[in-house]
Amino acid sequence: MKWSVDLKGTLSPLSILGAFFQKPNTIAYPAVKKESVVGYRGFHTNVLADCIGCANCQDVCMNDAIDMIKVDAEYNEKNSSQCIPRIDYGRCCWCSLCTDVCPPDSLKLEEDYLNVTNNANDFLYMPKDK
Amino acid sequence: MENKHITIFHGPQHPGITGNMSVELDLIGETIQKATTHVGYLHRGFEKLVERRTVIQAFTIVCRICVPEPDPNEANFAAAVEELAGIEISERSKYIRVMVLELSRLAAQFLWLAGQSGSIGLYAVGQWAIADRDLILDLFEELTGARVYHMYIYPGGVRRDLPEGFLERVSKLLSYMKKRLKDYDDIFINNSSFKNRAIGVGIISKEEALANGYVGQVLRGCGIAADVRKDAPYLIYGDLDFEVPTELGGDVYARALVRRAEMDQSVHILEQVVEKMPEGEIMVKMPAHRKFKLPKDDTWVKVESARGEFAYYMAGDGTEKIRRMQVRGPSLVHAYTLLENLLVGAELSDVALIMNSLGICPPEIER
Amino acid sequence: MFKTIKSNFATADVEVKRQDLYKVVIKYDRLSALIDFLYNNYTYKILNAITCTDWIEEGHFALTYLITTEDRSNTFMIQTLVGREDTKVESFSKKFKQAQIMERDLHEMYGIDFIGNDNLKELSLENWVHTPPLRREFDTLEFVNEHLTFREGREDNVDVKAETKRLRALKKAQKEADKKAKEAADASALKENEDGK
Repeated sequence: MKWSVDLKGTLSPLSILGAFFQKPNTIAYPAVKKESVVGYRGFHTNVLADCIGCANCQDVCMNDAIDMIKVDAEYNEKNSSQCIPRIDYGRCCWCSLCTDVCPPDSLKLEEDYLNVTNNANDFLYMPKDK
Repeated sequence: MENKHITIFHGPQHPGITGNMSVELDLIGETIQKATTHVGYLHRGFEKLVERRTVIQAFTIVCRICVPEPDPNEANFAAAVEELAGIEISERSKYIRVMVLELSRLAAQFLWLAGQSGSIGLYAVGQWAIADRDLILDLFEELTGARVYHMYIYPGGVRRDLPEGFLERVSKLLSYMKKRLKDYDDIFINNSSFKNRAIGVGIISKEEALANGYVGQVLRGCGIAADVRKDAPYLIYGDLDFEVPTELGGDVYARALVRRAEMDQSVHILEQVVEKMPEGEIMVKMPAHRKFKLPKDDTWVKVESARGEFAYYMAGDGTEKIRRMQVRGPSLVHAYTLLENLLVGAELSDVALIMNSLGICPPEIER
Repeated sequence: MFKTIKSNFATADVEVKRQDLYKVVIKYDRLSALIDFLYNNYTYKILNAITCTDWIEEGHFALTYLITTEDRSNTFMIQTLVGREDTKVESFSKKFKQAQIMERDLHEMYGIDFIGNDNLKELSLENWVHTPPLRREFDTLEFVNEHLTFREGREDNVDVKAETKRLRALKKAQKEADKKAKEAADASALKENEDGK
């Protein structure tokens, strides 16, 4: 490697020192929370008053992440199977195809996406009723 | 000296490797005598998986084929399905697709900046680049609902319309980028420590590059203006004004200059797209996923990714499933035919530098 | 060009798929000659990809060579049909350097032997002894069921179609029972009325 004087190339990188006087790009996490984005594909929500138990979501899910189960809850009277979806978050890829095919539009994705647990079986997730 | 040969593995656990792959190096001293690429740490079998799924179900996994820039995969998949099924998409969805593709190119170039500067120890540049890439990901998050795997370019159009005020936020980002990109010239491209390391390293000759089917910056770095957007325009690239930057050096530095110039071009294209964005439908009506059938036919589509031509071969068989989807990313040939030759005679410390300048992405080698 | 190809290589018509994409199906023994013809007389000098499709019902592989012009404005898809069992195909790795790795990939995924390719070692599958995975007879679901376990706690899944049917039948039976009860009640009320009179 031949060494030659490259004044511009030596001095111009020093402009990076200017970053000391700028605000940082990061946020001070637990103190300041990141603003949630409208339309983010996070956890599932399911309005039980609208869900008709048709299992379209189960059919379109290519990861077999959705189970239709019976729970103790007030069902929509049009819910012909009296089943509602439960999602296995160990398999879900948040593609949101299930929400696309939902005929009454009851299944949706919310902005919240944090699920911290040390038990793998907590991945089985019952969509919130909202 | 009896044992002057030494064989070491560079990767897969190495900060200077471009993903989950490794290069086996035979060394004498610091000089590489033989390089053998090994992949297989990331084989997920996408090409097999799509055979079991309906077309719409398969759409959600193609973005995972390339991690740094998933959108060329989605665009290719959608284009191939549309061509086979004979679907004509609306003008607005074409513009939105181009916008997404260019934003993802820009994001991928920032990731390259981070890798390339990190490979010679200029970590501050890398941190800046990642921070700036995040600004683009923020836009993606708002538009598509996810930061990395967007699953947005759907066969038949795009999945969501632009949110309110989105174009203004894109223009705001673009005017920031225009100023910001000049800073990268100062701290990285013109940096003498990068120049000293990069000039004359990893030289590829023009003839070799053409004959062996290399793509992207490798070609453009040795003076061939190869760019799918110009050679075979897709979507609306034919109507847009942009240049294909080229350099003559053929070395790591030439490829860096090309990429840096491409970032400017991406900003330029995005400005035009924001300005010209038409109104209209974003999606044509698509049949239900079990009723959507592809005819028995095949096709070959390609887009220009941040690392060069990215192509898909797709064959339908008259059912609702895809018979065969082959991914031909830039990396398969680059990581084997090119890298194995390029590393012979290079120094051990230059391995990361050369790999990053080729932009090798193992997930698309093994698919 | 199309006419020469048709007459010299005894193929079907060249299909123009797009302005930048032509396709021709050719017998295997003329493949190498056609690639040479395009290479020498035109600017089709870049081998872009080799791909293979398994048509298990028709009993053949469709090998497709994608060859691009030097200015990359046009791609020729040259397809040839070869048998599925013990497939032996001539390698193009001498002519196109990049064919070496593409053929190695296809050898791994389909078990096609490329004669003349000096390195057909495994690429991404380590110690794989099963059927080459991209052949259609390799059933991924069966393989998964054999080798992997599933998460416990999902057994309460209900078959929605059967459940809907059952509930409907239940409802129907209920309705009929109601109807009968009502009829009976009506009849008894009528009787009571008559008795009252």
